[in-house]
This record gives sequence, structure tokens and C-alpha cells, in this order.
Amino acid sequence: MQDFLELAVSATASGCVYGLVALAYLLMIRPTGIINFAVGEWAMVAAFGGHLLLSRYEWPYPVGMAVVIAFMLLVGWASERVAVRPLVEKGAPLLAPILALLGVLVITREVISVSFPPDPLPVPFPVEIQYYKYFVIAATAMVFAGFWFFFEKTLWGRTFEAVALNRRAAALMGINLSRVTAFSFAGGAAVAGLGGLLVSPNVSAHYLMGVPLAIQGFTALVIGGVGRVEGALIGGLLLAFAEQLTIRYAPIPSGFAQAVPLLFLMIFLIVRPTGLLRARA
Amino acid sequence: MRWLAAFVVLSGAAFLLGDYHNDVYRKMLLWVTLALGYNFLFGVCGQVAFSHFAFYGIGAYSVVILLFQLNVPLPLAIVLGVLVCIVVALAVAIPSTRLDGFYLALATLALAQLFVVVLNEGGSVTGGTGGIANYRLPAIFGMQIRGPWYTGVIVLVLLLTLWILMKLDRSWFGRACRAVRDNPEAAAAMGINVARTKVIAFTLTSALAGVAGMVYAFVDNTVNPPIFGLENAFLLLFMVIVGGSGRHAGAVIGAVLLFLLPFWLSPIVGHHHVLVFGVLMLAAILVQPKGLIAIWDRGRDRFSR
Repeated sequence: MQDFLELAVSATASGCVYGLVALAYLLMIRPTGIINFAVGEWAMVAAFGGHLLLSRYEWPYPVGMAVVIAFMLLVGWASERVAVRPLVEKGAPLLAPILALLGVLVITREVISVSFPPDPLPVPFPVEIQYYKYFVIAATAMVFAGFWFFFEKTLWGRTFEAVALNRRAAALMGINLSRVTAFSFAGGAAVAGLGGLLVSPNVSAHYLMGVPLAIQGFTALVIGGVGRVEGALIGGLLLAFAEQLTIRYAPIPSGFAQAVPLLFLMIFLIVRPTGLLRARA
Repeated sequence: MRWLAAFVVLSGAAFLLGDYHNDVYRKMLLWVTLALGYNFLFGVCGQVAFSHFAFYGIGAYSVVILLFQLNVPLPLAIVLGVLVCIVVALAVAIPSTRLDGFYLALATLALAQLFVVVLNEGGSVTGGTGGIANYRLPAIFGMQIRGPWYTGVIVLVLLLTLWILMKLDRSWFGRACRAVRDNPEAAAAMGINVARTKVIAFTLTSALAGVAGMVYAFVDNTVNPPIFGLENAFLLLFMVIVGGSGRHAGAVIGAVLLFLLPFWLSPIVGHHHVLVFGVLMLAAILVQPKGLIAIWDRGRDRFSR
């Protein structure tokens, strides 16, 4: 029982990280329809930022965290400026910015791999290691509560919803589409960055950590459904529990747990392609 | 006749090259083969997938495992290898093409990632991290094909791939693929089964990649996980985009250019040529979405006027 409780807590903590990555996808997909595979890479950048500020320069955790998140806002905004806006303004098909963001993904990863040594780099824990899981859960809960409040209760959040439901109509109502897009990318990068920062003390910062996170986050998004903020968190938690239970109880090498997201993705696409939660009309 | 001339020229070149250059030349031919297949999937049918290189690996590993661990005769091993590719491709493509959107991209990304994990953890079946080595192409009709002669086999596969894709491109299926790429709703309204078209295009190009992989297995006579890493999937995409997606010539230009670029760049940037590729690809999308082939076209138009 003790064993299972520990497993449940650690699954919840990693589910929170998947949920954050899924939320990052969702923030960008909802208003723009653009699926940005670079979210995993953004998480990786934030993890390296954490290493640089917290391990190498030994800044206090809250300050370092705030600077990393602020930097991620800038990264997201810059990516949108360089790789998305020119194409949207040209009226290019939706695929073009998605491919351009793949270019951004590779450039980001290569810049990091050139600038840092190839070994996994440590990122310190902000609290005692045995309480760290609760720290991750609390931070994620706050972020999700914040976004839920933003989308459901504030005028700004409703604007995002309006753009998600119908871009043309929203533009005709006087909503500034390019500003919404810029904010959704900056927010997406910040949320993905937070996910990367939270996972980094456990896994260390490594330049190849991005792709698995991008896959797990997207799977969480498909499980939860792209319509609702809560869906991302529920999807992340479900996926994490499935993974942890597989590693713990299934008699296969632990590397094969990486098959769990793909299996989940396939099953949900066959059985319930709209995800667990339906979007509100 | 033109095909025969192409075959003679392309494989004849192998006899003029030394051992090292012959090796580079063979790998370039294989990249061109892969890029041609990927171009059909991405450029003609508009499907983003990251598994093309994984299928290359699946083909290579299946033929080696079938031949040397299960002792299956060569022709049967080739057929079974293609079947493995087809089954895996169908299993991934059928669920992920049910919806619009980029589910296929993510599913194939997960597949490519998983493939490398399976290779590393596969124990004695896949040879683990070291892969499988020290085998030789079985004799065909009592003959050992080796050296420059084997380059002829690669050229044959390349031309066969090109021929199949050109035939397909000009058939109703190629038109259906282009319709699906440009406007799925309109294609569906014209009676094209959109999901089925995507599944067939994906399965077919994946099987072609598998065949190229089988040929690759006997180029270095070794298969191991690092060869089939995920970066190569991105590289293929970049080749097609930089060269000009949707055009066979574009795929060839892109593949040759990006394959040879690292050799010229290595004195300047060392091993970081992927960074240059990323910048090139981003520039291509922003400035010249039709790729290098469009520049060539424009030049030719001006010249002939």
C-alpha cells in the first residue's frame, strides 16, 4: 500500500509535467490551429536556463525561476514573430508555419547542443528532495487554476475563446488576431518552459530531452481533448499513471515504457478521437 | 531506353570512383531514393510524417534478422521484410488518419522514437546498442555481388522507386493525392476517400523506404541503432522542402545538396551542420516555399524567352 501511494504521488507529479506541456500545445492550437512541435524543445531550453542560473550562478530559486519564465515568454514571442506571423500575413497554408516551427525546433536544439556540454547537467531542487513532488503538483495546480480562471472568467480569456471558435467572426468583432496569436505563443512557451524547469531536477538538463516530452504532452492532449484546459491535466495524469504502472508491474525492459504514449494515442484515436472532455460549444 | 541509359551512367560512375568515394556515392543514392519516396508522401500527398527513416531501419533490420537469425532464404526475406513494413505502416496510419490535423505527424514521431528504443533494448534479436554486424550478402545464383557491382543494385532500386512514383504521380491516384493535399473537403466531395488515400500513400512510401533499407543493410554490412536516429527524419523533411516539395527533381536536388553540404561545411562549422540545415529550411519556407527547383524553373523560363 505504502508502495502504491508512493507510485501514485510520483505518477501525479510527472502527470503534472505532461499536463503543462499539453497545456502549452493547447494554448497555441486553440486560437491558431497551429500545432507547435517545438514545445518539447522549449521545455529543454528552460531546463538549461535553470541549470545556468540555479546551478552555475547559484541564484535563489524564485528569482531564477522568474527570469527563466520571463525569458521563455520572450522566446515564444520571438518564434511567433519570426516563424509564424510573416507566413500568416502572406496567407500561406496552415502547414507552412508548422514546418517553419519545426525549423525553429531544430535550430533551438542545435544552438543548445553547441553551447553546452553533451552530458546531462544538474538542476538543483528548490525544496527537500522528498517534498519536491508536492512542489511540482502545487505549482501545476496553481498554473491550471490560473488559466482556468483566465479563460472562464475574464474578458481577455473570453476573447481567446472567441478566436478559437471562429477567427473571422472574432476579427469582425474588433479582436486583434495577431495580438492574440502573439500572446498564445508567449504563454505557450512560458508554460512549456515551466514544465521543463519542473522536470529538470529529476532528469537533469539534456539536449535530447525535448522530443519525448513533446510526444507525451501531445498524447496527453489527445487523451484529454483539445477543447478544455482541464482536459490537458487529466490527460497528462492518465498517461503518467499508465506509464508508471507499466514500468512497475509489466515484465518488460523499462525503456519499452516509451511505447505507452504511442499505444494510448492509437487507442484514443480509434475509440474516442475527440478526447475525454468535449469542447464547449 | 532512357531508363537503361540512366542505369548505365549512374552505375558506371561507381567503377570510376575509389573505395571511399564509392561509399559516399552509394549513401547519396540511398538518400535520393528515400527523399523521392518522402517527397511523394509529403510533397504530393501533403502528409507530415517522421517515420520514413524508421521504415528504412525496419527494412534493414528485418532483412538482416530474417536472413541470419531465422535463416530464411533471401527472396522470402525480402517479401517478409516488405510485409513487416506494410503491417506497421497500416497499424499507425489507419487510426491517425481518421481525423483532420496532425495526428499522423505525432504518431509517426512517437513510432520513430520508439523504434530506436526497441533496437537498443531488443537484446539478442536486434543486437542491442551494438547492433548486428559481420554478415554478408548471400550469393544470388551462385554469384557474390560486391564492390562497385553492388552500387548497380542500389541504382536499380533508385530507378525502380522513381519509376513507380512517376507512374503513380500521373495516375488517378497521384491526382487524388494532390487533391487531398490541396483541399480535403473538395476531394471528398469529388468522391475521393480521403482517409484511404492517405493510408495508401503512407503505406506505399513506407514500404519503398523499407526496400531501400534492405539494400542499405549490405552497404556497410552492419546495422545499429545510431544510424536510424530521429534526426534523419528531420533531415529528409528538410531535403524535400529545400529542394522543392511535390517535384521529383526537387527531391533529388535537395537530397544531393543536403547530403554533400556537410562535406563542404565541416571545415567551417565542424559537426554542427544540422544548425545550418535548420536555418536553410526556415529560410526556404519564409522566402522560397517552392524550393530551389522554383529558382531553376525561373532561370529556364527567362533563358528560353
